[in-house]
Amino acid sequence: MSIRAVGSSRSRYGARDKVLGRTRYPGDIDMAGQAWMKVRFAGQPHARIRTLDVSKARAHPGVIAVLTAEDVPCNEYGLIYFDQPVLCGEVVRCEGDQVALVIAESEQAASEGRDLIEVDYEPLPIISSAEAAMRPDAFLLHPERGDSNILAHYKTRYGDAPIEEIFDDCDVIVEGVYRTGMQEHAYLQPEAGLGYIDESTGQIVVNVAGQWMHEDRIQIAHALGMPEAQIRVEYSAIGGAFGGREDMSIQIILALAAWKVGRPVKIIWSRHESIIGHHKRHAYTIRTKWGASWSGRLIAAWAECIQDAGAYAYTSSKVLGNSHLTVTGPYEWEAVHVDSYSVYTNNVPGGAFRGFGGPQGHFAAETQMNKLAERLEMDPVKLRLKNVLRDGSQLPTRATMPPGVSMGPVIEAAARAAKWTRQGNDWQRPATISDAATRGDHATATLRALPGHRRRGVGFAAAFKNVGFSFAAPEENWATIELHGGGEIERVVVKAVGADVGQGAHSVFRQMAAEAVGVPLERVELQAAHTDLVGSSGSASASRMTFMAGNALIGAARLASRRWEDEIRPATATFGYRPRVTTELNYETGESDPNISYGYVAEAVELEVDLDTGQIELLHVLCADDVGRAINPRLVEGQIEGGVVQAAGYALMENLVTEEGRIKTPYFSNYLIPTIYDIPRRTESLILEYPDPFGPFGARGMAEMPFIPLAPAIVAALHDATGIWFDQIPLTPDRLLEAFKRSSVRAFERKA
Amino acid sequence: MYPAKFDYYRANSVDEAVALLQEHERAKLIAGGHSLLPSMKLRLAQPAALVDLNFIADLRGICRGDDGETTIGAMTTYAAVTDDAAIATTFGALHDAASNIGDIQVRNRGTIGGNLAHNDPGGDLPAVALALDATLHVAGRNGKRRVGAAEFLVGLFEVALAPDEVVTSVSFPAPVVGSGSAYAKFENPASGYAICGIAAYVEVSDGAIRAARVAVNGALDHAQRLAAVEAALSGVGCGDEAAIKAAASKAADGIDEWDFMSDIHADADYRAHLMRVLTAKAVRNACDRATG
Repeated sequence: MSIRAVGSSRSRYGARDKVLGRTRYPGDIDMAGQAWMKVRFAGQPHARIRTLDVSKARAHPGVIAVLTAEDVPCNEYGLIYFDQPVLCGEVVRCEGDQVALVIAESEQAASEGRDLIEVDYEPLPIISSAEAAMRPDAFLLHPERGDSNILAHYKTRYGDAPIEEIFDDCDVIVEGVYRTGMQEHAYLQPEAGLGYIDESTGQIVVNVAGQWMHEDRIQIAHALGMPEAQIRVEYSAIGGAFGGREDMSIQIILALAAWKVGRPVKIIWSRHESIIGHHKRHAYTIRTKWGASWSGRLIAAWAECIQDAGAYAYTSSKVLGNSHLTVTGPYEWEAVHVDSYSVYTNNVPGGAFRGFGGPQGHFAAETQMNKLAERLEMDPVKLRLKNVLRDGSQLPTRATMPPGVSMGPVIEAAARAAKWTRQGNDWQRPATISDAATRGDHATATLRALPGHRRRGVGFAAAFKNVGFSFAAPEENWATIELHGGGEIERVVVKAVGADVGQGAHSVFRQMAAEAVGVPLERVELQAAHTDLVGSSGSASASRMTFMAGNALIGAARLASRRWEDEIRPATATFGYRPRVTTELNYETGESDPNISYGYVAEAVELEVDLDTGQIELLHVLCADDVGRAINPRLVEGQIEGGVVQAAGYALMENLVTEEGRIKTPYFSNYLIPTIYDIPRRTESLILEYPDPFGPFGARGMAEMPFIPLAPAIVAALHDATGIWFDQIPLTPDRLLEAFKRSSVRAFERKA
Repeated sequence: MYPAKFDYYRANSVDEAVALLQEHERAKLIAGGHSLLPSMKLRLAQPAALVDLNFIADLRGICRGDDGETTIGAMTTYAAVTDDAAIATTFGALHDAASNIGDIQVRNRGTIGGNLAHNDPGGDLPAVALALDATLHVAGRNGKRRVGAAEFLVGLFEVALAPDEVVTSVSFPAPVVGSGSAYAKFENPASGYAICGIAAYVEVSDGAIRAARVAVNGALDHAQRLAAVEAALSGVGCGDEAAIKAAASKAADGIDEWDFMSDIHADADYRAHLMRVLTAKAVRNACDRATG
């Protein structure tokens, strides 16, 4: 058939309903006879519960039930370890811990009841940093999990000799202590949902916005002590996720409440509740030292990465594995010595967030690479191309890179598009990418642009990102395809329940199914609403959904088409895709076959910095991504632009401040995210298509990549502009000014 | 985030507004509402009654007296001030500030009188009123009175206004020939409020500054004139970059450290730095306008 569904920018599935306000998110849905629920949060970072008195709340008019730890059949959950109580009965370990639930006839009555609960807390020592938590005499936050607060420790020992001996043979050493902050997901739709009993099946149903409905079901069933078949999870519409909905927030408590009161129960979190109530991107401290030869060959890398996991594990150990792997960048090495620690504290827990450890690891690695280029007086593009991972390269885990490595071509393509010039093997950084004219003063357009107080700079960084779960985490993705019709296929029903969190997963499912079956897109109907339709799709995370679901859809289409040829009507087939199995990191050596596939990305940034105020304006961001095959190029561009804007917030302004375990910025009035005024003046997407040998139609996952290199590219551009290296993000204006004052380059002085 | 219960009254004249204020305990005036309504939703303010000034036509509009004085009705919006061509050319600082407050929606509702009567440390007009030597016109039970901006702007959210008084207009004296003014600001990206804003007015003859009024808002707990800068600017050549900078470097001199605002967005040191930088910027632009 000549109609190509794959590779065309078809309108996003469901876009019209979203634009017209017809899409119903969980918070928009009301059921007859529904009750309302409110959560009583701990509100303090570390304390023992002496007494919990709910009698006044229970007696309050309109209150139907008050639930506490005693009401949870199996009071534990967690994606990696069951280390978190659904409702805290003895100890609270972070501000956002849930202590009690109030279910009432109205939202107001539930709020009033919540405020009538009396808790007497005995304060416990607050551990507010990973460094404090690692001290031998530190208070143990999870004594049941061992005799230290270290939740995971990975080592890589790669090379023939002790690392210090190898450093002695290096011509050049660069070092840094890199600090990255926490980041809030800031999705448009705060947590909301409904729990109810389906009278026809007897199931407990939870309608929420999540990222992995089958895992939600596992966690709910475990906590309620019920078989999974007793639970159904529905995703009606999801207003953004970015990793922030991968763990449980309201899923279990909605099921618990509906089960206990036998009525539909609804909850909507405020922005404040959302910000304290779900995990954040992890804060990291990374100390690292790299050695190279004068010719620009990377030789040895040492690093110590410390991750603040917060009060509970969430996916911290998995995030740690990813930063552990990327802290040496997408390069070849002779010797690597890395120790990475994930550490419990009383801070808000860290967990999944677009990039999943990649942004923190690469912030250190790529800034190291740019510092090294400066030391060697070598162009940063040239230095990267000399050392870049290639097909057949070995990682420090001693695994050979999966085939289809395109890091070199991606770096070259990005550099050329950003106006780098090449002569032989030499590359030359451009003076400007954008040719943008100075806009003058941001605040008042009538003010003249002052000569000398602004500086421009251009920077470069690259990254690689795993596609699919890493380190032996089980991968699978199920899809069913039904072919209906007589002589020709008139209708294709696809059942695939991967979450469309706003990235357009459902659009590309339909496009890939249409292509695989060979019918026009309009004949493809998608069913994706709940767990009983088909097996798990896995999480909408790890840049995996297009890759995994695409392979499942192709498999199902192939089987169904065979049945169609056998004249079976409707021709139906279900296929579960399971890729090659990866392996865990060896705890002593770091040996591992970590991933089945990667995507590759490089970015160039031009910015202007105001030396008087410390404000940065991003003039131009060029982002080159090898996506293997763009199933829907416009959606890919959307991911690139969105990823760049989110990363600009991470690098420049998103400053999640905590003090003694408490979030001081739980509102958008003090946690600043980019608005239209703050985003880069231009974001240029360069979509590259070097096919992945195992990807559906050659596609790689891509949605995390654009985020990863932006912060180090900005730091490089800032160095180009001012001569100062910044090893900490976010680059808030006051931090910049402090550095200007301290630095010897006298950037603080106005040049005439 | 709902306000406590309150009664609502629409005043159709200034006299009626004053009478309503006298009649009702804990009554507050509402103009644009951008400051009052959020504080009511947070229950920081719980007035028993609101007296709405939005329907008093007399309080809107801009007029110029024979002596060149410009009087702006208290309920005149930022947008109306921004769009006034004569203000743009005559009172550069006022135009700079009004045209950059909040966003379009805010400028269409927010008012000159409300801004000054609220005296938010992050507001933009208090410094402008000080630098342009504005006078406020106030009506109350005992009739009308005039009060200078410096006397009116008492402290943090505090002004010299009795509970039953209404600001009716603000007057700006005609600037002398060869003068110019400008406002320079560093704003909070979320709210648009000034983290630091500097208004400067200079009188120039023979290429040198003869007199200056410079004022700050945002950085301190309330708007203030910067006497040390004003004194240092006297006699400075308009093109003398180094001398302007030297004068601006005194912007934070003599200010008690407790007077500085300090929060997670900008600490006191950073605000002091911004005062110096923005003072130089505002003075330069005022000089440009005076000589251009």
